[in-house]
Amino acid sequence: MPSASDPATTSAARRPAVTPARAARGVLLLLVVVAALSFPSLAPNPYVLSAGILVLNYALLSTSWNFVGGFTGYISLGHGALAGLGAYGTGLLVTKAGLPSFLALLVAALVVAALAVPIGYAALRVRGASFVIVSIALVLVLLLVFQSWASFTGGSRGLTVPRPFPDLLRPEHHRVFWFLFAGLLALALLVWWLIDRSRFGLGLKAIREDEDKAESLGIPTFAYKLVVFVVSAGFTAAAGGLYALWFGDLDPVFQFSILTGSYLVLMALLGGVRSLFGPLLGALVVGTALEYFKVEYGSTPLHLVATGLLLAVVVLFMPDGVLPAVAAGIDRFRPAQQSIREVTAAELREQRAGGAAAETELAGARPGGAPATKEGA
Amino acid sequence: MTSGALIFQSVILGLLLGGLYALLASGLTLYFGIMRVVMIAHSAFLILAAYLAWWSQTRLGVDPLLSLVVTVPLFFAAGVLLQRGLLSRLRPATLTMMSVLLTFAIAVIIEGLLGYAFTGTQRRIQLGYGTANLELLGARIAVVKLIAFGLAVAALLTLYLLLKRTTFGWALRATIQHPDAARLVGIDTNRVAGYGFGIGLATAAVGGTALALDTTIYPSLHWHWIGPLMAIIVVGGLGSVPGAAAAAMVLGLTQSLLQIPLNTTWAQTIFYLALFATLAFRPQGFFGGRLAQRF
Repeated sequence: MPSASDPATTSAARRPAVTPARAARGVLLLLVVVAALSFPSLAPNPYVLSAGILVLNYALLSTSWNFVGGFTGYISLGHGALAGLGAYGTGLLVTKAGLPSFLALLVAALVVAALAVPIGYAALRVRGASFVIVSIALVLVLLLVFQSWASFTGGSRGLTVPRPFPDLLRPEHHRVFWFLFAGLLALALLVWWLIDRSRFGLGLKAIREDEDKAESLGIPTFAYKLVVFVVSAGFTAAAGGLYALWFGDLDPVFQFSILTGSYLVLMALLGGVRSLFGPLLGALVVGTALEYFKVEYGSTPLHLVATGLLLAVVVLFMPDGVLPAVAAGIDRFRPAQQSIREVTAAELREQRAGGAAAETELAGARPGGAPATKEGA
Repeated sequence: MTSGALIFQSVILGLLLGGLYALLASGLTLYFGIMRVVMIAHSAFLILAAYLAWWSQTRLGVDPLLSLVVTVPLFFAAGVLLQRGLLSRLRPATLTMMSVLLTFAIAVIIEGLLGYAFTGTQRRIQLGYGTANLELLGARIAVVKLIAFGLAVAALLTLYLLLKRTTFGWALRATIQHPDAARLVGIDTNRVAGYGFGIGLATAAVGGTALALDTTIYPSLHWHWIGPLMAIIVVGGLGSVPGAAAAAMVLGLTQSLLQIPLNTTWAQTIFYLALFATLAFRPQGFFGGRLAQRF
């Protein structure tokens, strides 16, 4: 797990051990985990729990989206369709093929991941514009197909997916699914974190910054993009499948909605596509707001206006996310940071020597250092 | 029964539809050529123009064609403002991706406002000549479809002459081909790009009026248009106006012919099939030049 307080696995002498920032991040992570585990028992009524599951579902989808959007910078508006495919795949495998629910979920996720190979092949051979066009086209064509092919998909009447735990009462059912969603989200975050630290992730980020230069440095850009797209599609489809098992009723208009895709983009951008927890944070804000407005004002066209305005504001003024924007705003009031040239070589040497001394001192003060890892994980 | 007359009728209707597609796709191509922007809001503006035509006919009692006098300059100004005020403020490094999101946001805002102002009810213009038909070799063609086609052809012709015969057209094409070189010879590329966007959006005004003549409109209709239009500009080769026009005619005709054996919904999937096939086997499109190779 990404923990701030596990420096002991690597050599403590080379890396700064427990800086206040890392400790703070560790505590924050612990708080998030505790909050996630205790939410089902804290929720005052089943409705709040189900709304929480919806937000969690958005967080999962948005994190899955961020495999492509965050690492490569390719914006997909079509991830709603991949989730819809996962949902319908799971539902159809349960109802038509009679597979057990969670096996169906796994198979559907794998099938969608396999489908993502030809889709990605068409979408990723050239640069961004084609990718965006394909991602939107995917939503529109799947909506057409799933609405028209009524004999197989149920068409506009929808598809009812039997519940995986028929003998559970509704609140219990919500509680189980809360933990399932949270588990899948933790897995997605873990994979994102691993890629983020890997050589593969470095290559992807090079594509994001400058694809031409990345290519000229020998990064197999097309293969990298395709692999990460498939990973993203797999997680998105699994999230959709889990939603199908939880909600139990699928309608093509909602499953293959371009608006869902844009919510995911909005959440990830708002939270910050470059950080592990950015999409989760964005989903908490946007998902909660969506639910709140649905309860307070019902479904009006003004939803669309609000979504559009928020998206436009984020794109125009904080494309790196709200946290970096806030940090930049605070930095304005700080004294200007020194550039490295304003420090003399002698001062720098002194600083480095002091830093190294403090580091070794710290490492020595905590022999072994192993106990520190336990509570962070 | 697929008689010859039915096929002939479908061919005629397909060509008429293709003309409208060609006009709208040429606008999309202009945006892409000028700024590498995939303008998702193009079809939302199309529906907005259709609503304005409907509104002027039902509320003001003005013939929808006359609404063009207002909508075309209005949309031109909106296009200039959109480019100068919003799109040119985005970071160049992420322009393609962020402009998609921004124009998507605009499309959603327009859809929401249309839904708020006119409700989601389906609207249709009732015209005196709305039901008139023209018999031609056994094919029945609605007069309004002919008018729509005529509008599209006139607008396309104007666009062609504007691009090929005027100094501004030269400047615009130079800006599309090589902005830096255009600046070196003294073209104010920023201003030209703004006007280019205005012209692109003006095609949406003309297209919207043409559309309103014989189609039932509702706020979310624009999603049914943006997909085919994007498929057309990819098949034609991103950035190529003649390519877009040719692809529009071919795909419009194919869609119309496919409606004989299949139903309307399935016939529309031809656009997406063409899109995926083009990107998989010939990503630069069928008419695209140097520009299309890299996007």
